[in-house]
This record gives sequence, structure tokens and C-alpha cells, in this order.
Amino acid sequence: MYTNFDFKLSGRGIRTIGAALFLLAAQAVVAADIKIIANSSVGASAVSADELKGVFLATKSSLSDGSHVEPVLEKDGPAHEAFLKEYIGKTDSAFETYYRSLVFTGKASMPKTTPSDADMVAYVAKTKGAIGYVSAGAATAGVKTLEVK
Amino acid sequence: MYFRAEKLILTTFLCAAPVALHAQFDFNLDGRPVQVHSFASQGFMYTNQNNYMTMNTTAGSFAFTDFGANVSAKLTDNFRVGAQIYDRNIGQLGKWQPTLDWAVADYKFKDWFGIRAGKVKTTLGLYNDTQDMEFLQTWALMPQSVYSLDQRGTMISHMGGDIYGDVGLKKLGGFAYTVYGGELPQDSTGGWVYAMQTSNRIGFTADGLPIIVAAPVHSIRSYAGPVYGADLRWTTPVKGLLVGYSYVNQDRSAAGTWYANNLPFHFRTDKDNTYASYVDYAIGKLRINGEYRRELFYAQQTSPSSSTVFGPTTDKDMRTGYVSAAYRLTKMLEVGSYYSRFYNSWSILHSDPLNHVYDYAITARIDLRSYLDLKVEGHFMNGTAPGITVTRGFYAADNPNGFKPDTRLLVIRVGYHL
Repeated sequence: MYTNFDFKLSGRGIRTIGAALFLLAAQAVVAADIKIIANSSVGASAVSADELKGVFLATKSSLSDGSHVEPVLEKDGPAHEAFLKEYIGKTDSAFETYYRSLVFTGKASMPKTTPSDADMVAYVAKTKGAIGYVSAGAATAGVKTLEVK
Repeated sequence: MYFRAEKLILTTFLCAAPVALHAQFDFNLDGRPVQVHSFASQGFMYTNQNNYMTMNTTAGSFAFTDFGANVSAKLTDNFRVGAQIYDRNIGQLGKWQPTLDWAVADYKFKDWFGIRAGKVKTTLGLYNDTQDMEFLQTWALMPQSVYSLDQRGTMISHMGGDIYGDVGLKKLGGFAYTVYGGELPQDSTGGWVYAMQTSNRIGFTADGLPIIVAAPVHSIRSYAGPVYGADLRWTTPVKGLLVGYSYVNQDRSAAGTWYANNLPFHFRTDKDNTYASYVDYAIGKLRINGEYRRELFYAQQTSPSSSTVFGPTTDKDMRTGYVSAAYRLTKMLEVGSYYSRFYNSWSILHSDPLNHVYDYAITARIDLRSYLDLKVEGHFMNGTAPGITVTRGFYAADNPNGFKPDTRLLVIRVGYHL
């Protein structure tokens, strides 16, 4: 017998809820697994998600503090996939198509791409205004980490 | 001299193309980064009846080639320059004559205010400026009601300038605007001129079917005019949803001579306004979009010396549009479909196949490599709408025995970009 507050879950229901919880957890891990890094010339210590999206879609070239920034991308890999999903909202192929449409109409240049976290950190460290992303566990000596508001 | 210069440019480009095609390469020039990109495509078309796009498609035709390459450099944080050359040969269109596709100097003062000047790709609807780059699209042929291969030159670019910018609206998304003005470039090898030069060969049988008749045709010496317009697109707060509206006004004039008597010929548009509304929605691997255009067009034939109207006038309301959906099944395979409608004149019978082209298309795009794609596409078309100036791929001159109402079209296209 069940009270009004009782409910019964079938095995399928448990699996569905489990899958949903897993996906939610995975989303949280995605955000936590990326660090946004910038060259020390960038004045800001934090950046909004909207600003980040604007910078990486070439609609913004400066942050709210006035710092001029240049986006840097990883060529592929989990950090790249997670960054696109979390902050840009496009698949890798849609993102590439977006940039190519700008490049082949003379409206933007293709951003610099790096093959790994280590190369990303090295490039951002030496390039004025560079802003990029790496896996949370990557060593980030020589660059500043930006908080995403 | 002009002929030799043109040959020299073509030869230089063709020699440079293999190098450009081998890789996208970046290099520094005087400490400034320079990028080089390129693309090329080769297509094949076969129709069961009615020749299409000035090709002998009923026998199958490979006369469907285009390529381009660009170079650009960022001179300062806010100042960029670049240029792209483009060449195509599509049946009787393009004729391998290389054109300067765009050449711009772009200065961005603020995110919300920038200026670009030179020869600029015209922002109109979702894809006007990117319609030549097949690798950006799911389709082997863009919806031809709106982005027709033969008429692309009429509004593809302008010599002049744009004012543009992006305005963030926080929780309301953001706006991107472009306002532009300038002069339309000559498109001497496009479908407009091809139709003008062959239109007077059109006669009509007693039951209304167009046939070729012996009549004087005119050669077009020039074909240009002023243009201005604007585009506003809103990235809405709904994830993946963009809506926009474009307006363009052009005043095109054509001059030439009649073949038969060598008398001067002059044609001008007193009104040519296009209004475009569009929507694009992308969620995950699914992309849906659509566009609707209306073009109000009033043209006259006049005496070039006195501007006196002596020829027949053209006054029409043209309506075009499409809806499309594409889904990426795997990293390699994307499938899609669209339905496209073109009405040459809204004021006359819509069901007349000589006034409309309805096109239902299905496509499979296979990305063989990140830089190489293959598309196989089927089209099921009804109507041909062969016009005197504005057409959608069907010309009486290419179909001397008249048109059949229905056309099945197979398109296979391979594209390469770096």
C-alpha cells in the first residue's frame, strides 16, 4: 500500500533518472574541466560567458576593461570540444563553417590554432592580448587564468 | 591589350593555384601575419529533359567548375586588408574570366562600429555573400529561387563601403548590422546578360510555348549602376535561433547595340527594391532555415541620348523563398532537403510553369576529409520561368524545341578548400 507521498520506480525509470543525473554531472564536469587563460597584458581578471562567446565568434575584439584580445583555439581534443559546447554552443564543424564564412568573405581572419594544451599555454604566454583555453589540469605557468562570471 | 592582361592574370593564377591548393599557409611579412586560403569545386549535372544552367545537361555536363583564392593580413589590432580572386565556368556563364571577388580595407573602431571599403561582398539574406563557397553549404546547389547560379552576379558585391557592427543586448541576445552603398560591378558573363542577349530570339507558339525565332538581339556593352542597402540580424536569446531582415535598392542600367541595325540600345531600372526576411535555427546536429524575398522591379528601354522611353516597360513583383533542413548523421555524413519556390511575376497566373520554378531537393554530403567533400543531390523541379532578364537556370536559347513542365536533375559536386 502506498501513501500520497509514495511512488514506485520501475527498473527502466531508475535507469532514466540515472542517465539524466549522469548527463547533468557530465555538463558540470565539462565546465569545470576547462580553464580560460590569457596573456599577462590582458587587464581583466574575469570575463563573462557572453564576452567569451563574442570574442571567439569574432564579434568582440576587446573585454569590458578595454583590453584588446585575440582568440586562440586548440585544433581538436577534449578541451576544444568542451569549450565549444560550454561557451560557444556550436559543434566543431558548425564552428569551422562559421569562421570559414567570415574568412572567405573578407570579414575576419582565421584564429591561430595550437595542437595541445602545452602549445596553447606557450603561445598565449608570448602573445600580447591572446586569450585561449586549456584542460583544467594543464600547467599554466606564464599566463593568467580568467574567472568566468 | 585587355585580352592579353586577362590571359596573363588567368595564367598566373592557374600556376599559383596548385601551390595555394596544397595547403592553407600563414606567414609573416614584415612582422605581420598573412593568411592564404583557397577553394575549388567540380560538378556534374544531368537532367532527364530541359537543358539547365546554359549547359547541355540532357546529355550530362561537367561544365561546372569554379575556384578562388584569397590573401589577407592584419596590419594592426583594428585594421585588416585582403583580396580574393574568383573564377568559374558554368556552361555559357563565367567563361573562365577571373574576377576580383572582393578586395577590402577594414577598420574596426569599436565592436559596434567598423568600416570596410573597396569591393565588398554584399550582405543580403542568410547566404548572399557565401553562396559561391560550396564547402560552407550542405547543398550542391543552393536553393535556386534565392541563390541562383546564373543571377549571382547581379547582387554579389558592390564597389563602395559598409558600415557594420555588433551590439550586445545581454539577456536579449545581440544585433549585427550592416549598412552599405556603392556601385554594382559589371557582370558581363552572368545570366542577366546571357538572357538579354538571347531573349529576342524567343518567340511563342500558338499554345504559348517559347520557341527560337529569327529576331534581332542586342549586345550588351555595359551593365552597372548604384546600389545601397542594409541588413539587420538578431541573435535571439533562444539558443541557436537567428532572425534577420535585409533591404537593397539598386538602379541598374545596361547599354549596347541592336545586332540587326546597330542602333544604340539602353535599358534602365527605375525601381529595383528587394526585401528579404530570414530565419536560421541550429540545435545540436540539426539545422533548419528559410528565407523569403520580394523584389519590386520596374524597368524601361530608353533612348540613350534623350532618355525618352520608346521600348516596352517591365513592371513586376517577383517572389522567391525556400525552407530547408539538414542533419549531420555522422562526422562524415550530412543529409538534407529543401523546398524552393520562384515566381517570376506574382501578378500573373502562379500555376503557369512559364511563370514559376518549384524545386524539391534531397542531398547527401560526404566529408571525405576535413578539406574535401562530395555531394550527391537530386532535384525534382516543376516549371521553367524563362524570362527576358530574370531567370532561374532555364533559357529558351538552350532549349530550342521548347520546354517540358517537369525536370529531374542529378547534381554531383566535389569541393576542396583550405
